[in-house]
Amino acid sequence: MTQTVPGFGEPERVVVDCGRMAELFDIDFNLEYPYTRTTGPIIGPFLTGLRDGRILATKVGGRVICPPVEYDPDSGATVGPENLVEVGPGGEVTGWTWVAQPTSKHPFEHPFAFAQIKLDGADTTMLHAVDAGSEDAMSTGMRVVVRFSSDRQGTINDVYFVPGDELPAAPAVDDDAEPVMITEHLIGVRIREPLLPHRRRFVEGLQQGRIIGQRSPVDGKVHVPSRGYDATNRVPMTPDDDVEVADVGTVTSFTEIVPVQYHGQTETEPYIRCSVLLDGADSTVGGIDIRDIKIEDFRVGMRLQMVWRDGDRIGDLDNRGYGLNEEVYERWEPTGEPDVDPERLKEHNF
Amino acid sequence: MARPCAVVGIGQTKYKRRRDDLSLDGLVREAALRALDDAEVSFADVDAVVLGKAPDALEGVIMPELSLADALGAVGKPIHRVHTAGSVGASTAISAAVLVESGRYDTVLTVTYEKQSEGNATWALSGGKSGGQGAGGTFAPWIREYIRRSGAPEHIGWQVAVKDRQNALKNQYAHLHLHDISVEAVKESPMLWDPLHFLESCPSSDGAAAMVLSSADLVSRSPNPPAWVLGHAKRTEFSSFPGRDTVKPQAGVDCAATLYKEVGITDPRRQIDTAELYVPFSWYEPMWLEGHLIAPDGEGWKMTDEGATALDGDFPVNCSGGVLSSNPIGASGMIRCLEAANQVRGTAGDYQVDGARVALGHAYGGAAQYFAMWIVSSELDPVFS
Repeated sequence: MTQTVPGFGEPERVVVDCGRMAELFDIDFNLEYPYTRTTGPIIGPFLTGLRDGRILATKVGGRVICPPVEYDPDSGATVGPENLVEVGPGGEVTGWTWVAQPTSKHPFEHPFAFAQIKLDGADTTMLHAVDAGSEDAMSTGMRVVVRFSSDRQGTINDVYFVPGDELPAAPAVDDDAEPVMITEHLIGVRIREPLLPHRRRFVEGLQQGRIIGQRSPVDGKVHVPSRGYDATNRVPMTPDDDVEVADVGTVTSFTEIVPVQYHGQTETEPYIRCSVLLDGADSTVGGIDIRDIKIEDFRVGMRLQMVWRDGDRIGDLDNRGYGLNEEVYERWEPTGEPDVDPERLKEHNF
Repeated sequence: MARPCAVVGIGQTKYKRRRDDLSLDGLVREAALRALDDAEVSFADVDAVVLGKAPDALEGVIMPELSLADALGAVGKPIHRVHTAGSVGASTAISAAVLVESGRYDTVLTVTYEKQSEGNATWALSGGKSGGQGAGGTFAPWIREYIRRSGAPEHIGWQVAVKDRQNALKNQYAHLHLHDISVEAVKESPMLWDPLHFLESCPSSDGAAAMVLSSADLVSRSPNPPAWVLGHAKRTEFSSFPGRDTVKPQAGVDCAATLYKEVGITDPRRQIDTAELYVPFSWYEPMWLEGHLIAPDGEGWKMTDEGATALDGDFPVNCSGGVLSSNPIGASGMIRCLEAANQVRGTAGDYQVDGARVALGHAYGGAAQYFAMWIVSSELDPVFS
């Protein structure tokens, strides 16, 4: 079903899908990166040990600490690889919690326990998973013993624990495997946030082909896009301060970007990013994407007209942006008007 | 009135593309232990630890001050975390100095780091999205605007890139040791963001830097000469607002003016012997000379051109090689502060400025919007004339 957005004119232009509007105002963003970790002289042998079927700890100041550490946690004194000792494979549970509904990040798809396990020979506990079958099988003081996964990569997930004292079968070890020096971890966070009211009005405006800014009630300067407050004068701005600005403006700064490759980067060819001072505005819209104008023809002071994209203009506009989303415009075209003197744009280049 | 504070110990790691021999814990400890050794104190003598680094997204370790506390001997002691983007290294040094000056602590260990090889800075600075313009892409148009305003010739940027890399050859800790660096090599290197060539840009480094700061009554405990912290200032402005001057940000002007006034400096070019300025892209040397009131508007590039900023010039800048030669981002600002201290302590080795008595350490961050600066001296109460 479609309907008009309340409060705006020209219903024939203002058509959006209801379900899409709900999505529009609830912004989802997935931030993730495959970080690496250099393991160093102690954690490296520990992870290598897990892969090769043994659990290592460090002997520090009369205590045996597992997982091992590079330094004495009490004094900060350095602890070298000569202090590594083997512990386990059995141990005692000193505390636990039952995970009834595992998530994709957990070591098992079925319910299991996270437990503090004091391995035989160690003086400290290690947090790890116990595949106990049921919560009833778990108790503080119970004995557990290690199990080695069949596909071991040199990570903490190479092992898990089970109740009892039955020793594990000796795992197959590749004697030629390199020690674990670097590990890789895809770390991510999924963020969902609602668009703030001023941002929502800005996006609603774009849907209708209007660019909405806000005029400061203090100095009269027009901010586009607005942050919902005038940062210079430290006052909030309200819907009464909303004003419409033009979709034509002046280039105040630009860069040709030769894209650096990184996780999630889809750009491969050079392109221009510019800031434009729209007519009627005092702040610039930044990060405008230019693909159709040659770099040698591009200059500060040049006049540009935005060509709106037909149809849906919902992009990943969040609450922090200071630009227009690329889905809003098809391209920007030179108007052919005389350039504006760059001297007049000095205070509008970002 | 604040009580005096001095740098009594300095420690740096070797800066490299990837320190694959050290964990994050090991990296910060290498710098911290060297600073403690230099000061001839131990973790037991430290009252508080102040840690700084750039955004957590660079390595994906959230709130690293918690996991690094034990590694820095901070058990049972306060540990503080400072975060002001690229200027954080200098902000962290200042926060540590304040803890001593206030009288709260007598001995403070301050450590900053970045392990850039474990993540990707451009990814992080792009908010994890495609199409990021990166730091260089942000600064390039402002550099062109500086060139337009000042009429500086294009070789100024190349000259800074060569000078800082030649200085780095004298610094064992510097990441880049480019023995064949030349103006020709710089201008023939790929253009990344007009007018910045590849060799006019900072590297991506792993590394950590640390200092031991101490109150006046404990200075004699350490064998090497102290660097007295004469004054410091921090200023911030928004990245974008109508009327912002990105070429000479007001926050940078205010930061410098406040600092000089506090220290009693009236003619910075004459009264400061050497400066470590945060110059990640070549053109920021003349831009900060003007932006921090060392040169009049439009005159900063002339200092570079005339050789005033060279190691043997009258206002040597970045004798250590600067950010252009080593850039573990979170530590880069602290390296500026500790290299200023090295100069006035007489411990700068092959890149020592003869007779340096007063030195400036500086950092900026974000969209050239966060500033942190300090001035150190070999004398507790120098007379400026």
